[in-house]
Amino acid sequence: MANQLLEVKGIAVSYGDIRALWDVSLTVEEGAIVALLGANGAGKTTLLKTVSGLIRAQKGEILLEGRSTGHLSPQQIVDRGIVHAPEGRRLFSTLTVMENLRLGAYIRRARPLFGQSLDRVFTLFPVLKDRREQKAGSLSGGEQQMLAIGRALMSQPKLLMLDEPSLGLSPILVRRIFELIKTLNDQKMTILLVEQNVNQALKVAQQAYVLKTGRIVMSGPAADLLANEEVRHAYIGEHGGHT
Amino acid sequence: MSEYAIIAQLAINSILFGSMYGIAAIGLSLIFGTMRIVFLAQGTVIIFFAYIAYWLLTLAGIDPYLSLFIVVPFAALLGIGFYYSIFKEAAALEDRNVSLLIAVGLMFLMENMMMVFWKPDPRAVVTPYTSWVFSPFGTSIQFTRLIALVLAVLATLVVWLFLKRTRIGTAVRAASEDMVSTTLMGINPNMVNAVAFALGIGMAGAAGIGVATVYSFDPMFGFAFSLKALIALALGGIGNVWGALLGGIILGFIESFATYYVGSGWTDAISFGVFLLVLSFMPQGLFGSKVSKA
Repeated sequence: MANQLLEVKGIAVSYGDIRALWDVSLTVEEGAIVALLGANGAGKTTLLKTVSGLIRAQKGEILLEGRSTGHLSPQQIVDRGIVHAPEGRRLFSTLTVMENLRLGAYIRRARPLFGQSLDRVFTLFPVLKDRREQKAGSLSGGEQQMLAIGRALMSQPKLLMLDEPSLGLSPILVRRIFELIKTLNDQKMTILLVEQNVNQALKVAQQAYVLKTGRIVMSGPAADLLANEEVRHAYIGEHGGHT
Repeated sequence: MSEYAIIAQLAINSILFGSMYGIAAIGLSLIFGTMRIVFLAQGTVIIFFAYIAYWLLTLAGIDPYLSLFIVVPFAALLGIGFYYSIFKEAAALEDRNVSLLIAVGLMFLMENMMMVFWKPDPRAVVTPYTSWVFSPFGTSIQFTRLIALVLAVLATLVVWLFLKRTRIGTAVRAASEDMVSTTLMGINPNMVNAVAFALGIGMAGAAGIGVATVYSFDPMFGFAFSLKALIALALGGIGNVWGALLGGIILGFIESFATYYVGSGWTDAISFGVFLLVLSFMPQGLFGSKVSKA
């Protein structure tokens, strides 16, 4: 059995009086793609924010390579090797493509590897090389998503967390983004993928978890979930009109 | 004096007066960028440094322009001190009002401390060159005002280069756009805020020297100065240091021409009228490229 890269054990998270996650556990094996599915408001983004240290869990623990990250700041968590590409991309739109990538490699550990990281990003996304002096805000939606993923990769992560990378993209670009996720995974990148595009996500992932109103209601091999009527009914139907 | 000569003189005055509003506005812009508050104490801090220059001259005999090399680094350190001592906890809160109230509290505290130390009567820095005047083409330019303009342009250039060329400067610009995303890059928000304060209060140090050599000042002069800086900032647009400097100079034009053609009693009313018009109809300022919509 492969190594457990990330283990989330029974975490509970509240925003004030409102409980967002209840006793959530999840495991990401090294080298895997794990899909985290669920409707809007199910708690997917909250879970990613908790793992990246933006929010603190009231209960439970989070382990990276067996060591707890619960007490660490977001900076220390990036330094330990977890990077979070947030929903909506959140690029620095008035900064150039290069400046965005430089900031991606801000942490001390990533700085000496800058040239190597940049080569990897430009090989994966040649269009970013052509656009490197352009403002990020002037890129097309697809290019912006590539930059968001590229910027995350600049920190040389062990675990890449992608929150809705296909959001707002045309069907052709959605397919390209999923191909890229597959390519990255072939290059040994471990990925925790939050998606509303259930069908595509289950096709690239090995494992999947389904969140519903803050609880894990289903988990297992992605292929099993893909075949499961209940999942398809509950989530794929809902997803249909998603743009 | 011919009409042209008067207009030329007014234009010169505008640029010379306005540049001081401009560097005050840059300070506001930098702190607003990452902290998302209008640092209302900026003008008061500027006056505080004017007093420091006054003290350095009267007590230690240090020329105000020489004291730049003491005051500006001290100001930058004080900015970092302000952030870590009183703003850090509030900066982590979603509600920006707490930080704003701290800035207001700091302003009143400093005003009252200055009243104790330096008394409410106006002070002026007098040097041999205070009375120097150039007279090109029938106009008159005071030496100290000209140096203040040069100082403003140089300070703006230094800040601009810092923001553009350094890693930390780039992080400050990124944080001005999106602090959460910046945090996810592994950048410490406290570090970025502290740097913004160092730059903003450092600018106040430079502005303080400029003010000290040009105006007579008293402890309560600062708040009015903050308001002028706020108008300059609205004109120039947030997030653009050259725009803020230019905003200050435009305010200088509005004030000089309003005073001459309408009457000095109307000057501030006209300035604030323009302030409201710009904010209402061009919230991005005259030079701002964009304002993110809520």
